[in-house]
Amino acid sequence: MRNSFIRILIIALAIALIGVLSIYSSTYQKELALWQDIYKRQILWLAIGVVCFFLMSGFNYRKLWDASYFIYGLALLLLLLVFSLGIIRLGAQRWLKLAWFNFQPSEFVKLAVIIFLARYFSRKSESDISLLSGKFGIFRGIALPFVFVAVPMFLVIEQPDLGSGLMLLLVFVSLLYLTDVRLKYIVVLLVLLLAPLPFLWNFLRPYQKDRLLVFLNPNIDPLGAGYTVIQSRIAIGSGGFFGKGWLSGTQSQLYFLPESHTDFIFATFSEQWGFLASVLLISLYYLLIRQGFIIAKRTQDSFGKLLAYGISILLALQVFINISMNMGLAPVVGLPLPLLSYGGSSIVATFISLGILVNIDRTRAVF
Amino acid sequence: MDRKKLFVYFLGLMFVVLLIGLADLNVLQGAKFRRLSKNNCIRLISQSGTRGNILDRNGKIIAGNRISYDVMILPQEPSQLDRAIAAVSRILGAESKELKAAFKKNFVSSSLPTTVANNIEPRKAIILEEYKVEEPSIIIQPKPLRYYPHGSSACHVIGYVNEIDRWRLTKLEDYGYKTKDIVGFGGVEEKYDYYLRQEEGGLSVEVNHRGKFTRVLGFQPPVNGRDVQLTLDIRVQKIAEEALSGRKGAVILMDPQSGEILALANYPDYNPSVFVNKRPALISALFNNPDSPLVNRAIQSSYPPASVFKVVLASAGLELKKINLSTNFVCPGWAMVGARKFSCWDTHGAQDIIRAIAHSCDVFFYKTGLLLGGQNIHDYAIKLGLGRPSGFDLPYETGGFIPSPLWRKINKFQKWYDGDTANLSIGQGECLTTPLQLTAMMAVFANQGYLPAPYIIKAVGGLDLEKKKKRLSPVAFKKGTIEAVRRGLREVVSDARGTGNALSALPVAVAGKTGTAQVSRGLSHAWFVGFFPYDKPKYVICVFLENGGPGHAASVIARQIIEKMNNQGLI
Repeated sequence: MRNSFIRILIIALAIALIGVLSIYSSTYQKELALWQDIYKRQILWLAIGVVCFFLMSGFNYRKLWDASYFIYGLALLLLLLVFSLGIIRLGAQRWLKLAWFNFQPSEFVKLAVIIFLARYFSRKSESDISLLSGKFGIFRGIALPFVFVAVPMFLVIEQPDLGSGLMLLLVFVSLLYLTDVRLKYIVVLLVLLLAPLPFLWNFLRPYQKDRLLVFLNPNIDPLGAGYTVIQSRIAIGSGGFFGKGWLSGTQSQLYFLPESHTDFIFATFSEQWGFLASVLLISLYYLLIRQGFIIAKRTQDSFGKLLAYGISILLALQVFINISMNMGLAPVVGLPLPLLSYGGSSIVATFISLGILVNIDRTRAVF
Repeated sequence: MDRKKLFVYFLGLMFVVLLIGLADLNVLQGAKFRRLSKNNCIRLISQSGTRGNILDRNGKIIAGNRISYDVMILPQEPSQLDRAIAAVSRILGAESKELKAAFKKNFVSSSLPTTVANNIEPRKAIILEEYKVEEPSIIIQPKPLRYYPHGSSACHVIGYVNEIDRWRLTKLEDYGYKTKDIVGFGGVEEKYDYYLRQEEGGLSVEVNHRGKFTRVLGFQPPVNGRDVQLTLDIRVQKIAEEALSGRKGAVILMDPQSGEILALANYPDYNPSVFVNKRPALISALFNNPDSPLVNRAIQSSYPPASVFKVVLASAGLELKKINLSTNFVCPGWAMVGARKFSCWDTHGAQDIIRAIAHSCDVFFYKTGLLLGGQNIHDYAIKLGLGRPSGFDLPYETGGFIPSPLWRKINKFQKWYDGDTANLSIGQGECLTTPLQLTAMMAVFANQGYLPAPYIIKAVGGLDLEKKKKRLSPVAFKKGTIEAVRRGLREVVSDARGTGNALSALPVAVAGKTGTAQVSRGLSHAWFVGFFPYDKPKYVICVFLENGGPGHAASVIARQIIEKMNNQGLI
């Protein structure tokens, strides 16, 4: 239906434009020319994203079903490439350096895993055309797909990108919940995942441990790991009802707030535009995600339905975790705010997801 | 399907959580965060004005200011503090432990630079300033500091500066004084602190997360203190100090026509710069010194005036017509007062008033005193400015004390005996005066009958105070009385047997009175109070030596002073 296409496009563009303004405001005072141009790059990425949105909205999503294994394989390959380059360069890397930009595969890996899981759980029994997932045992319902998720997850966490890795896990559990897989299996999975957490603690990198500890009490280390959260809370809290005004945010523009144009862009925005606009922004996200759920709900095709759910959940989780992280309600895990944060990979991947969403709705109408 | 509905609700809940979180930060805790945000980015850089100078009558600086350099640290993070302290300790050669202790002691707020070292050498200040490129948290703050170009000269007049003490703070809080303020102690520095003191100014600047300056938010220009000009002539002052040097006592030189103090010297003295340079050992030595070098003997302590007091007796006797110019008393070396024998210091034979002053004959004044009675002596002493503070410009002036029968009756319930009158007649007993009072008294005979109110402040902040000063008050003595006393005072010097004969060889005609005050312990106090030149007096001089021996010792010092002043053409 054209309706959802227009709605999603308008909401996404509105959020993205707010993002460009915020990125400009948080970087325009920095001396280096590199920083000065950052908002222009974001506009460029936004344009590329919109083009991708149009392309994907016209690209029949059913073809993704066929390509899902290929897409999954490609994602793994990219991750391995990042992983091996990281080894060669003796340092962690999240990006692949392409001609003039950095490509961050983990953003696309999230989408690839969703496509893969949507296909995996929407296979139908050949005899009675019912979903196979309801009949899955613990191995095929939980263990096998978990392995398929765990491999890219491990590679992403190893980058190190804890946020994206956890996102994969959360999306997996959520999708699992939405399929017909038995609830008790999911409970078993959760227990199995949560039980070894104390042991996994030792495998975390020191800075990741710091961040988690600091989440519990940011004042442990106010000038170290807790600094960002404290400054971001100050930024949001000091905004007041109407904000300090565009380009007048002292927290973000005087660089008290690190990562003010990427992970902590919400704080930048909130400081300058205030409570009212922040509520508005959150509402915009809510409307966007609601569109996704509406599409998922009215889609009959189980692959399309799961895919739509997966995309919406991914968006919702990223928005929720990022904003909570800005407010100090969640640990700082390094996750961009979709459409608002600076980052070409993120914005293009998000627009591609939205394009797929629109196409699912459009294709449904064809049936 | 239920699962899906539940899930949608769950996601909706997530957004509610976000909105609640936002409201909590923005609305409930908004004020707190707005304050934090302000503190984050605003730094205050103080700029101090300079304390007013203290000048002598010719505009020469007695207490001025020089630039000193303080090292301050404004760390953005703890590791920066350690690095900065390490660098400062390396360059200054100071223990980093001490610097850290100083940092802890002086720390006020993270938005204010904290002083770790005071008054460093200019050369090291330059080195540290260069080092700032590497360590931007180090700040070299130039600060004006009290400077005394003449060392300890006139130290008792100017006083010293130090950090405000609790007592002064409670007194001065309402006038805008704060803890750690530098205020004056003693002398002009204390009395005129309100005018001398500078007003702190400063910049409030916005900084970024590295503490780097971004823009100026506000500027309050510092205000310099007002200069205070004294009537002191630093040349005369130095002559007086040199002559006095090594002898406990005080010297005052005053213009008898106006009451302007031209020199006010005390010994032992101190160098006020020890308080500026904060030398604890030297400072505590000053306070513990039994000779109390911090005391301004000229005004803050009183002594028996001894024979100098005979001037009061002479004028009272002549005024009240108890004696006249032809009155003669024979001095056999002693006199009987009641049943007690009061001795004279010598045997003088027949004495009239002029000779009695010249020879300082005790017997003549015992008899005059007995004719006058204690109350009359007291009244004339008060008339001549004794026994009450003169209202001098410097703080902590004492009033001295003149006993009287009435006072004795009221306060001690005791009778006044003739022996008391005899004692008072020669300025002994309970009678106490300050050198300044005797100086003012002597001026009456120098300027033909006017008691001056001595003063030492000529101008404050360029505003001349001379017109606002009290006029000389006439004592209303008869011309003959003054003339007789004057002649007597001249004879003290010119008569071959006069007690002040040591001054006769001077090219300037000096008149005056010596005094030898017996004290219960130690050598007697020595006085010489006089004026010169005799015909047209320009100066009243008072030399007082605490436990300095006979009055002759004081007149020798007076001679040295007058001689030097004459040589330098100051008379």
